[in-house]
Amino acid sequence: MTMIDEDTLRSALRTTADGVVVSGEGAERLFEQIRDDDRSESRVTRLVREPSRSRRVLMGAAALVIALAVGVPLAIHQNAPARIVVHGEVPPRVTTSGTGFLSTGTQDLSASGAATPRGITPTGAQSSLKTATTQRIESTGTIAITVTKNHIETALNKLTALAERDHGYVESSQAATGARVPRLFTTAYIVLEVPQASFHHLVSQVQRIGHTTSLSTNSNNVTSEYVNYQARISALKVSLNQYLAIMTRATTISAILAVQAQINQIQSQIEQEQGQLNVLNHQTTYASLTVHVATPNHRASSTHRSGLSKAFHDSVSGFVTGFEWLIRLAGPVLFALIALSVLSLAVRYAWRGVRRRRI
Amino acid sequence: MSDLAALLEESYPQSVRTAYLILGNQPDAEDAVQEAFLRAWKFRHSIALESSVRAWLYRVVVNTCNSKLRVDVPRRLRTAADHDLDATPDLEDASDRFAVVNDITEALKALPVHLRIVVVLRYYADLSEREIAIAIGRKPGTVKSRLSEARRQLGEHATLRDHASHSFDDEVTG
Repeated sequence: MTMIDEDTLRSALRTTADGVVVSGEGAERLFEQIRDDDRSESRVTRLVREPSRSRRVLMGAAALVIALAVGVPLAIHQNAPARIVVHGEVPPRVTTSGTGFLSTGTQDLSASGAATPRGITPTGAQSSLKTATTQRIESTGTIAITVTKNHIETALNKLTALAERDHGYVESSQAATGARVPRLFTTAYIVLEVPQASFHHLVSQVQRIGHTTSLSTNSNNVTSEYVNYQARISALKVSLNQYLAIMTRATTISAILAVQAQINQIQSQIEQEQGQLNVLNHQTTYASLTVHVATPNHRASSTHRSGLSKAFHDSVSGFVTGFEWLIRLAGPVLFALIALSVLSLAVRYAWRGVRRRRI
Repeated sequence: MSDLAALLEESYPQSVRTAYLILGNQPDAEDAVQEAFLRAWKFRHSIALESSVRAWLYRVVVNTCNSKLRVDVPRRLRTAADHDLDATPDLEDASDRFAVVNDITEALKALPVHLRIVVVLRYYADLSEREIAIAIGRKPGTVKSRLSEARRQLGEHATLRDHASHSFDDEVTG
């Protein structure tokens, strides 16, 4: 098998190709078009590839704002104490303050037996923040009572009166008749909303209306979440003000559009956070007590759970709680993703500029 | 002016000669390169980060040449006699140098297109095997085997072998 020598082949090809005279006249129009195109493109891309000093300052400020908006809430969230859950009949020892606010220090909660807070070791600024902040407690409860026959309606009226006396209201109520006695109510439930301060007083008053067959109360200290929302809103408002200041200095359309997009995004975030804060505010202002009322032969079935039923409901409750956390975390994560996308776009443009210079 | 625009202008003559060796026809070569450069300029933002711009540019040129070989040249052959592939001017009256050129052109024409392309890119455009792999969109191993096969087929070409073993070097350098 004969193979042609590489050097011979190389020389032969050069000899052949060098005989071709390329005048370049035919290509002149092509290169003229490319040059025109290149000049017009350069004017557009110069702002991105060769940023002026003011543009660099603008981009630096934007990066700083993003870092602050993401970093501050995350830092606060990491330092926040764990959620406090209180189960059982012994309420946390609290002192009331104003309408609906439970003003208490961490010591009071620690002393309440079952309500031992985990991970609360306030130090430095965090300690002063905690002690200076009004505690936010979210309380719910379920109680089942039995009353004598024909007294369901009377019990409901008394319960309504109790709620109104404590400056609360009836959120919902329902009564049902039994199969054997169609004209008389045999079971009913009523959901009472009262100010947090009156919650435990209400529980004790309800127990006097009938015979208590089951009772459960649940108190969550959501102060950290409340503080987190406030901090996030404050940080976002600071960012918003900074962007508004940047907007006054933006001179190009692309810069104005970029800043406007950031402003819209932050405003949307503020509204979301404010909405969640309002929900939390209502939950901590009013405590909810669900009262199941039944005659002795028709005990409410959903009040007292044990074994598999309890495990199932705990599981559902845990699932819902986890889902709530996912939704709460989605906001900051989405914001971080958008910020990262913007940064990656900027890096991509910069890298493309660098790479072209290397060609 | 951007670097790519400068590169296009600078590499135009060599690209035309490369296309000529692939197509065997100067007007087609110039058409192909101009079309390729327009495409390259239009899609300049799609240059892959990791590939060399030179290899990418040759890829566009090779693709355009392939397209011409697939569509334009057969159509022309159907409608009229090909008056250029063999039409190195005044060949019959040419010196030995032109005879050598003609032999090489003939030898290249005899090669299948996929082998002709790798030979031209390797031994005329001086692309590395990796760059050729990028330019033709194949693996470096494929490039290596095609080069070997092309050299074998060229070695079997009687006239070229004759030039290679006797007076070709003198002819070229002289």
